[in-house]
Amino acid sequence: MRPLGELEAEIMNRLWTWGRPATARDVLVDLGRTRSIAYSTVKTVAEILHRKGLLRREKQGRAWLYEPTCTRQQYTASLMQDALGDNPDPAGALLSFVERMSADEVEALRSALRAAKRRSGT
Amino acid sequence: MTAALALAGYALLVGAVAPYALARARWAHRAPRLAVLVWYGLMATFTVTVALALYHVALREEHVHDGLVGLLTACGLFPVAFGPASHTAADPAALLPPALVVLLPAGWFLRTVWRTRRAQRRHLDLLAVLGRPSSEYDAVIVDHDTPAVYCLPGRSRRVVVTRGAIRALSREQLQAVLAHERAHIAGRHHLCHAVAEAFERTFPRLPLARHAREQTALLLEMTADDRALRHHSRETLAAAMYEVAAGQTPRAAFGAGGSSAAVRLCRLLTPEAEPHRATRLGIAAGSLGVMLLPLLIACGPVMG
Repeated sequence: MRPLGELEAEIMNRLWTWGRPATARDVLVDLGRTRSIAYSTVKTVAEILHRKGLLRREKQGRAWLYEPTCTRQQYTASLMQDALGDNPDPAGALLSFVERMSADEVEALRSALRAAKRRSGT
Repeated sequence: MTAALALAGYALLVGAVAPYALARARWAHRAPRLAVLVWYGLMATFTVTVALALYHVALREEHVHDGLVGLLTACGLFPVAFGPASHTAADPAALLPPALVVLLPAGWFLRTVWRTRRAQRRHLDLLAVLGRPSSEYDAVIVDHDTPAVYCLPGRSRRVVVTRGAIRALSREQLQAVLAHERAHIAGRHHLCHAVAEAFERTFPRLPLARHAREQTALLLEMTADDRALRHHSRETLAAAMYEVAAGQTPRAAFGAGGSSAAVRLCRLLTPEAEPHRATRLGIAAGSLGVMLLPLLIACGPVMG
């Protein structure tokens, strides 16, 4: 499954960079510059991305035009919302190293750390 | 009815008194793994005790005089032919409430695990197109300035690190944090979270439920910390904790409860030795006793 996952990223990156709708064939031509890849593979992965809701498509003539549903920044923001949100739901879906803290708490951590450094220093 | 009353009293003790004592127990932070087990023991005990109490009410004490055989016969676990003939306890209506008390948490557990997967799937879809797998860190790197390190435990296990975190942490610190996250994955901590959540859904507003969820979450973080400490120093992990927290936008302070990170950092900086082996055995034996007592109350002829 790994190569398909990488191909997903490559297709999305191209569409984001181009900033316009494109067909699977357009993507294939660009990908084909660096390696050989089958049209059916590109088409399949584009359909997977469409099914996942990352691409929307529109029929033009006989081909489908694909376009990202959101910008890269919007998706990244949504990803980070999951990671940095206050209440992950359900619990345990995502385990953060530290949860977000209030400014006072961060300050308390800093002085605790400093005090410990002084203690070990002397 | 004596047994039903005794069981109800015991459930009250386990569900509303014991959690306050255990949440304040000083040994818990020194032996977090044992403490997690004790919390699970209390949850299991409460569930079984309530089920048995309902069962006794339903059967109106019929079987109690016959002790264990009577109980098992009534449960259908013991061939009726062996039990006294009067016990035609195959009445399904009597078994329904106690069965529900046991099946409900199981159902909530499955639902939570399923919802966890669904939430992760969406996250993984985005991660596949936004993240860059790094073999150096054995993690997925996301291009974002806010430092964050987290993992998606379960079937599609992944550790995720933002560029901001790589920038904020030293190499050594980052390795310590990654070790912490891998401990969550290896320990299947998402299932532990699901158990606590399922219990709270079944018994909302029960002090034991709330405390168990909060405390096990904190204790699981501590066990992950301990795992990271096997190969990294306390100072490294503590400093990493501060660096990640300091780089994030602070949240508005609300509620009296401080964050668990402050408790964890304090624990890292002022280490206390693990309780003595005998103490740990005593705690384990004690909680086993707590679990067995309701069975004795339910089956013991004394209570008849």
